[in-house]
Amino acid sequence: MDARNPILATAPAAAYPPRANRVRPGRRVADKILIAGSTLATIIGIVVLGSILLMLIVEGIKGFSPMIFTQPTPGPGSEGGGIANAILGSLVLTVIGIVIATPVGVMAGTYLAEYGRNSRLADLIRFLNDILLSAPSILIGLFVYTLMVRPMGTYSGWAGGVALAIIATPVIVRTTEDMLRLVPSQMREAGVALGAPPSHVIKSVTWRAASAGIVTGILLALARIAGETAPLLFTALNNNSWFNANLLGGIPNLPVMIYQFALSPYQNWQSLAWAGALLITVTILALSIVARLVIKDTRAR
Amino acid sequence: MSPTTSMSGQLAGRNPANESAPVRIAVKDLNFYYGQFHGLKNVNLNFHDRQVTALIGPSGCGKSTLLRTFNRIYSLYPEQRATGEILLDGQNVLDPKVDLNELRARVGMVFQKPTPFPMSIYDNVAFGLRLYERLPKSELDGRVEDALRKAALWDEVKDKMKQAGTGLSGGQQQRLCIARSVAQRPEVILFDEPTSALDPISTGRIEELIEQLRSEFTIVIVTHNMQQAARISQFTAFMYLGELVEFAPTTKIFMNPDQRQTQDYITGRFG
Repeated sequence: MDARNPILATAPAAAYPPRANRVRPGRRVADKILIAGSTLATIIGIVVLGSILLMLIVEGIKGFSPMIFTQPTPGPGSEGGGIANAILGSLVLTVIGIVIATPVGVMAGTYLAEYGRNSRLADLIRFLNDILLSAPSILIGLFVYTLMVRPMGTYSGWAGGVALAIIATPVIVRTTEDMLRLVPSQMREAGVALGAPPSHVIKSVTWRAASAGIVTGILLALARIAGETAPLLFTALNNNSWFNANLLGGIPNLPVMIYQFALSPYQNWQSLAWAGALLITVTILALSIVARLVIKDTRAR
Repeated sequence: MSPTTSMSGQLAGRNPANESAPVRIAVKDLNFYYGQFHGLKNVNLNFHDRQVTALIGPSGCGKSTLLRTFNRIYSLYPEQRATGEILLDGQNVLDPKVDLNELRARVGMVFQKPTPFPMSIYDNVAFGLRLYERLPKSELDGRVEDALRKAALWDEVKDKMKQAGTGLSGGQQQRLCIARSVAQRPEVILFDEPTSALDPISTGRIEELIEQLRSEFTIVIVTHNMQQAARISQFTAFMYLGELVEFAPTTKIFMNPDQRQTQDYITGRFG
């Protein structure tokens, strides 16, 4: 053994001092500070979120009554009223949005994950999709305004649905691609090795393997567009009564209704805005919980 | 003194190689490239009908690469290409005109990790059958049962055919994958380290199964486990750095190899 080498010289295990004394006091302090700091940050976050939620629940429940599901929005200065037209309008807009976005998003995500793995086009699409994912939603509203509202000469549910679809599509593209990439490549090889063409392998093996994740992505996109306001301002606008069956003209919807009613001087409008806000929040919460359950269910298998 | 005596016990009582069996796959001047990387160099080799041929060699020697040329599964990846000839019953499978789906129905493949599809046990086995054959339900049932029996899995799953294939144990999943290949009645079955993800008991069952399947199918198996190669194969090919070093009946490879490198590898001096 080399006596000049301090590591070798103190080699016997018993020579080490007791474990507790080996940690520098500075590290202990740093540890405590980090724990205190992150706890504080968490508390701030929870307090802020909690107070928003609490206020929403308290004020929202005050405005809640069975009437909100049966009566349309009241005119200025009139008593009572509900938000039934806005609920139905929001439902219609969201359904149009998701019905357009789902096939486009799933197919595009499939292209990125399966067919375009090594292509430059796929890289470009992925990049643009990420930009679209974080684009200001008011911009998408303006885009659809130019694309549909101006040529058609009227605000419409169709324009609102398309604007929401443009918001939802990149979310679905991204989750679909991510979920398909999680499917091990051996699974695809196994399908191909049985003589199945790639399209068949995608349809009956990879989509199936990733189905829970893809459904979750769709649900999250649904939750996202259910509360979007900005893209609707220039497209579906709003309407204080029932809407046309052909969806032309302004379509009442919850987010824009909340925006307008909350800023109004009328007390009953304000409480309806609270009720609408609570309703949207509960719906989005429920969608997110369902999405999580779907994921958990498949992980457990 | 031969250091290979530890292997001789494994070889005792196994079926001898039938060198006069017809050649099922003839590999001629095969070169393989991963982009710029030269993965296989001038490989020439014959695989005999209804014999088990083991491909052994250290990691990265090209044994899996060679296996993956027989059903052209590598063509999923555009940067990979092969030159030369691989004659399956006289037909060159590297010919661009070959119908890949038909080729893959003739050459089955079982992977390292079990790959049950996310569907029922029945649907897993019927997957390949439904691709190209329109079979009436009764016949399909029969083919599925037949395949599961050949894969020694029938007794364990016959009462739960509708349950998910992913719910089986690892060893059962691997036998399910074998059944899925067997159901298509291929001529050749390729095994790519089929037991390296399995426990010893499941490994033993798969090895027995391979021995039984040999009566009907020509089998090529890649394995990291030399004892396994010695136990289950009639022929062994030793590969190193993309080249075929030696190919001979398994008994000869393990008892009396011609090449010094082979001797060193099987006695554990390198690799």
